[in-house]
Amino acid sequence: MRSLRRKEALSFYVTISPWLVGFLAFTAGPVLISLLASFTNWDLLTDPVWVGLDNYRDLATDPLFIQSIKVTLTYTAAYVPLDLAGGLLLALLVRPRLKGMGVFRTIFYLPTVFSGVAFVVVWLWMLNPNGGLINLALGWFGITGPRWLLDPKYALWALVMMSFWGWGRSMALYLGGMQSIPGELYEAAAMDGAGSLRQFFAVTLPLLSPTIFFNLVLSVIATFQSFTSAFVATNGGPLDSTLFLVLYIYRQAFEFFHMGYAAALAWVLFALVLVLTLLLMRSQKFWVFYLGERSE
Amino acid sequence: MKKPFHFLSVAILLSLVLSACAPSASPTPSAAGGTVVIRAGTGDGGDGLTPHQQIIQNFEDKNPNVIVQLEPVSGRDYYARLLTQLSAKAAPDIMQVGDDAVPSFVTKNAFVPLDTYLKNSNFDASIYLPGLLEPGKVNGKQYLLPKDYSPLAVYYNQKLFDAASVPYPLDGWTWDDLLATAQKLTVKDSSGKVTQWGIQLPAAWTTGFEYWVAAAGGSLISRDGKRFAGAMDSPEVARAVQFYADLYGKYQVAPQPADMNAFGGGNSEFANGKAAMMLFGRWPQSGFKKNPNITLGVVAPPKDKVRANVLFWGGFGIATSSKDPDTAFKYLSYVSGEPGAQVWKDWALPAVKSVADSSGLSKDPIEGVWIGELNYLAPRAYTFTPYWNETADPALRKVLESVILDPKADVKVLLAQAAKDAQAALDKLGK
Repeated sequence: MRSLRRKEALSFYVTISPWLVGFLAFTAGPVLISLLASFTNWDLLTDPVWVGLDNYRDLATDPLFIQSIKVTLTYTAAYVPLDLAGGLLLALLVRPRLKGMGVFRTIFYLPTVFSGVAFVVVWLWMLNPNGGLINLALGWFGITGPRWLLDPKYALWALVMMSFWGWGRSMALYLGGMQSIPGELYEAAAMDGAGSLRQFFAVTLPLLSPTIFFNLVLSVIATFQSFTSAFVATNGGPLDSTLFLVLYIYRQAFEFFHMGYAAALAWVLFALVLVLTLLLMRSQKFWVFYLGERSE
Repeated sequence: MKKPFHFLSVAILLSLVLSACAPSASPTPSAAGGTVVIRAGTGDGGDGLTPHQQIIQNFEDKNPNVIVQLEPVSGRDYYARLLTQLSAKAAPDIMQVGDDAVPSFVTKNAFVPLDTYLKNSNFDASIYLPGLLEPGKVNGKQYLLPKDYSPLAVYYNQKLFDAASVPYPLDGWTWDDLLATAQKLTVKDSSGKVTQWGIQLPAAWTTGFEYWVAAAGGSLISRDGKRFAGAMDSPEVARAVQFYADLYGKYQVAPQPADMNAFGGGNSEFANGKAAMMLFGRWPQSGFKKNPNITLGVVAPPKDKVRANVLFWGGFGIATSSKDPDTAFKYLSYVSGEPGAQVWKDWALPAVKSVADSSGLSKDPIEGVWIGELNYLAPRAYTFTPYWNETADPALRKVLESVILDPKADVKVLLAQAAKDAQAALDKLGK
């Protein structure tokens, strides 16, 4: 009996070893090293110099770090609600099982499949102030469009606009969530005299709240990690108006080779995401319903 | 039935794990038959690789026991990759690096000093055109030899000058001449919209802007590389920034940048025949020569207080991690020497004087202008401090972006702030 158990344990470890080895070598190891590196000055080539908390202290007086936090939080505050509402709107639009609806679902979902760089380049063409599609269209209505990515007042909002292409991802999740709502509930609601608007607010929305919560957490984490659009389209400019925290980390690490400082920045990013996610988890009990029950 | 399956899956997994741990097959430095493999890293890509391959081919024909393996990494990740390879002691034997990266690579101990190799091999370092060895030098020691280079010059489209009956700009012209010429060639339609621009400028390109500073007689940093006050905020720098900004804002002879993030502003007006002049390096020249919108002329950049120019430069050096620096130097002296220049001359400006002369490039009405500008080089700002790129460069860029975006911006206030920001950043790093 014991030997069987030992055998089972052994085969368990052998079976998960590819994942375990990969995790230790390529995730846990580097995470630990980055924590250690954040207490050093290290340029990749010469030996790291231990500086204690200096890197973290320098953060407080680094105007670009403060700017990058501002940019990241503004982007999160603008993107997350738009993504939650936009995805839900799309899901409601493509929800009815009509003929050909699959085509629309595919079209709306498609942009999320494209590579980040390719879709940013397409947006660069559309946002070009001279002859780009968007300003051309605005011109038909006699509006002189802004200079978008060239204007520090508009650049971040142009990036928010670009992110509308990601609505398809949350749409797909919402659709899945809607399909798991039992049809009887709608029947019962209809019998009680609830119109479609009432049904939406009394049945769909509460039962969709776990999906909304899931999307919320995912979007917040994703926006804190946003990098590609600014890296390709603006490189943080003009005048640092699109300098995301991750872009700043990249710049410190791989353009200036301040690995220690970059590691400290990365740990601050991690702490921010962790705190925000925990706060969101805590908030669940006020507004998220699991199969008719409030979550604990 | 259950057992063999169990055993098999464990065996497969084990073999997978073990094979992942085995060292990967990497090219060994010395292959069979006494041949030596030299790895050469370059940041060039696409068509730019052809001359490298051509030179390698020629070299291997002459040295049958050496194989040169070209390792191109184009794009912004090239330096990051080199540094990672260096820290893993797996860098290419020969590394190509651009001007402003030289001091930082050398202070990180990435390159072998070449002086003893140059002496022992009797390599004649005086074969180069003036000013081309300096960017490869740090603290008086030679670490890299030149590959290719470009100063700045003003391209002009003779078609647009002829149509407006404006004489072509002449060598020795001034900033005032530039403004007057640009104004004559800026054309507006009846609604006041500009249909043709006087000059296309390289937006917030900070290193290119050093020409304007040098021509105004200014300098962005103190000679000892420690202070920005009295340099970056000096009246000379203010004059350069104001003049540059006015070309965009006050006089409106230059088109606004199309893409602030693209190298040189991403404008296409000159290529489309919609701008009469353009200040830039030699890189797009071959395209302009083939462009049907353009009949190309090239003239030296105008002078202000001083006649000045700045140099953009790429060179090769030997990595400290190289296991066979002697063979690496053999290739280095070939690729950077006269045989290499014979190939480069069809792709870029050749660094070797005899090649530039014998091919007629030195006397060519267009190429001769570029080569002649080597006599007017001002030292680049990065040569005064190894921290230039992460301290003053962002501060200067901010000034340029501000004045281009807002024609009414107060240049003096901006420069004072930039000098302060750059100083704070430098003090933090230099401590």
